[in-house]
Amino acid sequence: MWFLLMLVILLTNGMSAFGLKMIAGWALPESVKYPYLTVWYAGGLVVIALPMILKGLKVGRTEILWGGIAGALSIGGQMAMAVALGSGVPGHVVFPIAIGGSIFVVALAGRLVFGERMNAPTALGVALGFVAVILLGLS
Amino acid sequence: MGLLFCFLGALSFGLLGTALKAAERRNANASGLVVAAYAWPALVMLIRTLLLKPSGHVPGKVFLIAVIFGSCAAAASWAFQVSIRLGKVTVGWLMMNLSAGVPVVVSIWMYREQLTSLKVIAFVLALVSLFFLFWGQVIEKRALGNSTGKGD
Repeated sequence: MWFLLMLVILLTNGMSAFGLKMIAGWALPESVKYPYLTVWYAGGLVVIALPMILKGLKVGRTEILWGGIAGALSIGGQMAMAVALGSGVPGHVVFPIAIGGSIFVVALAGRLVFGERMNAPTALGVALGFVAVILLGLS
Repeated sequence: MGLLFCFLGALSFGLLGTALKAAERRNANASGLVVAAYAWPALVMLIRTLLLKPSGHVPGKVFLIAVIFGSCAAAASWAFQVSIRLGKVTVGWLMMNLSAGVPVVVSIWMYREQLTSLKVIAFVLALVSLFFLFWGQVIEKRALGNSTGKGD
């Protein structure tokens, strides 16, 4: 199950932002991104909500609270990156710092807050993956 | 000043991953969490779109790819939320970020973008990293099986 989930993450998450690149290639007005993002979020919402409705599951207070926190942090991160890019910091500096830094924060929280311990292959995999992500950001 | 915002972005995204793990520890339902996390931005974007001055026709293909890629994002968010119940949040978060390599490959194929030596090194490192991450998970599963007396 875990391996399948990792495969789903690898194949779907990276491609999720590819639409903006396609739109840029079609040379459409900048304002198109707003209706695009509205449908982008709504489409994602429906895909997850539909099976929930069919199963009779409801969104509780915990999910609304933590979903709201997650949404706010996501928007906060995007805005901070937009300000950094807008103030003249080049993308090859902004992306590695933002992505690499977020992995560092999560790894630190995983160890200190949630008490997660890694075996040697996992630690090596995380270290190599961290470098790979930084290099992808630089490229 | 710009660099400060880079670090604030890193902190914000890092806290996002941490918050999702905290939600999992509080037994938040993965689907419900994704629905709640997508509902707020959808509403904000809808209001922003409605406040826009009409600037011409939006082609249908824009909405089509929005549904496809939005569904991809939601599937990834759901898979991440379920995966951190089974494995480590650091590995799940790293996988979310390693997935950035997939559109790079697609861009090389689709837009004939240049395959630089930096990209080649990144891809090789990513593949080696995946091998070690999967190996680490196998070892952990075996250890868990042994400790619970189930064996392999």
